Amino acid sequence: MARFLVCIKQVPDSTTRVKVAPDGRSILTDGVTWSISPYDEYAIELALEHKDQAPDTIVSVITVGGARTKDALRQALAMGCDDATLVAGEGLGPLGIASALKSSVEELKPDLVLCGKQASDDDQGFVGPALAEALGWPHLAQITKLASAASGFEFWKETEGGHEVWTASGAAVLTVQKSAKEPRYPSLPGIMKAKKKEIPERSAADVGDPVKIEIVKLEPPAARGGGKILKDGDTKAFAQQLATLLRDEAKVL
Amino acid sequence: MRIWVVSEESTGGQLRRVSRELAAHAATLGDVTVLQVTGERVPSVAAASALAERAKTDAPDLILVGATPSGRDVAARLAAKLKCAYFSECTDLSVAGGSIEVSRGMYAGKVRARVRASLPAVCSVRPNAFPLADGAPEPALTDVAASSAPGLTFVRFEPSAASGGRIPLSEARIIVSGGRGLKGPESWSQVEALADVLGAALGASRAVTDAGWRPNEEQVGQTGKTVTPDLYIALGISGAIQHLAGMTSSKVIVAVNKDPDADIFKVADYGVVGDVFEFLPAFTDAVKQVKAAS
Repeated sequence: MARFLVCIKQVPDSTTRVKVAPDGRSILTDGVTWSISPYDEYAIELALEHKDQAPDTIVSVITVGGARTKDALRQALAMGCDDATLVAGEGLGPLGIASALKSSVEELKPDLVLCGKQASDDDQGFVGPALAEALGWPHLAQITKLASAASGFEFWKETEGGHEVWTASGAAVLTVQKSAKEPRYPSLPGIMKAKKKEIPERSAADVGDPVKIEIVKLEPPAARGGGKILKDGDTKAFAQQLATLLRDEAKVL
Repeated sequence: MRIWVVSEESTGGQLRRVSRELAAHAATLGDVTVLQVTGERVPSVAAASALAERAKTDAPDLILVGATPSGRDVAARLAAKLKCAYFSECTDLSVAGGSIEVSRGMYAGKVRARVRASLPAVCSVRPNAFPLADGAPEPALTDVAASSAPGLTFVRFEPSAASGGRIPLSEARIIVSGGRGLKGPESWSQVEALADVLGAALGASRAVTDAGWRPNEEQVGQTGKTVTPDLYIALGISGAIQHLAGMTSSKVIVAVNKDPDADIFKVADYGVVGDVFEFLPAFTDAVKQVKAAS
């Protein structure tokens, strides 16, 4: 029986038009739909796919955050995860989050810890490797597939031009890349069951966070537009004209 | 100030352009050592261990790594070992008074952030963030032998079918990207013909990779790659917010779409409203002529 622990983060849904708050250091959260970070959903899916084949597999989810993040855990339970843990802690940096997760990992004793390769809010990709370091475990990044092998698992790691296939002799942290299989939607019975599950809370009080990151300024990407749009004419002639513009005006050819 | 650049080779065994960009830029900031971790298929944990060991004596203030998939991974594990600040995919950085301030994207490129932390720090830096002068000298490399990685064994390499020998997306100066408007995988022979003439990498919208027309690694946008080439050519891409987030910081954007109201035109520097299948062969020929004449 394998036990997987998937670390997730709640972030603004990917369709959100993120707006910077007037203070210039945070984003407006009014009207934001919160969701599990996309790569974390792929991580859940990889674990659940294994559980589909080996039903005695236990898939646990965990997050570090405030009360709102329980919704993300319920979403994961509704997808089919077995149990969920909330580590109560806000305002922690990546090393602090890794430290907060460490004691739960040591208690739950999973065979594998899965994280999305990066969360789609700060886009750092730091917590997975930092958690592995805190645990003294190896990690493999950009995993798109777990295949059962004679001795445990084969891990498919996306690299330029293909996949490296690796095995691990003991526990490891995997950071998960988008894979061919889309994360499943919660089923209606799954949603009903998830509502009734207890989500235990742990404290992150004793956590070390050695690095302080200061946000100096957030701003929207530079405004674009007002480009030269060639329309209502002969497409072939436009193609010719565009090539000349790219060489002589934009100077990129 | 002591700066390390952790270099990376491309698959052809050459020093990557991003490593040369970083070496050149670091030289303007302080004393640079360009390190190269030696060994085949070195897991990032083994590279990071070897570098962390050396950092005990070298005590670098700043460690710069190219933000390639492998570079980002080594950089993150190394920062965790050193218990210092880590910033990924930086597009600019400055150092003053014992702290570092970097520019980087957040929310999949929907927000530009400037963030600060005390040194020492590790940064992975986007290719194309800093200029590289023509004829810039090859930096001298200092070898670091990789540590062993207990518990991990490399088994084999599984090449992907479609990506034969092209420049990686994250490092390309020019990207030709295709969307649903190209109607099917068979259209990519024409896209590749254009990419060949331009020396470009191939990109795709999520609709295209989800449909299996192209491999996932070519996806540009949220859940794919964020890219900042000099020239991004979007063919038959309508411009969903998740796609725009991943390419809107490109220097020059060209869009070709038959729908004049497509969102992609809102970020385009140049656009052609027309049939992409009429456009593609004509544009490929035109680029050939224009390049031959210059």
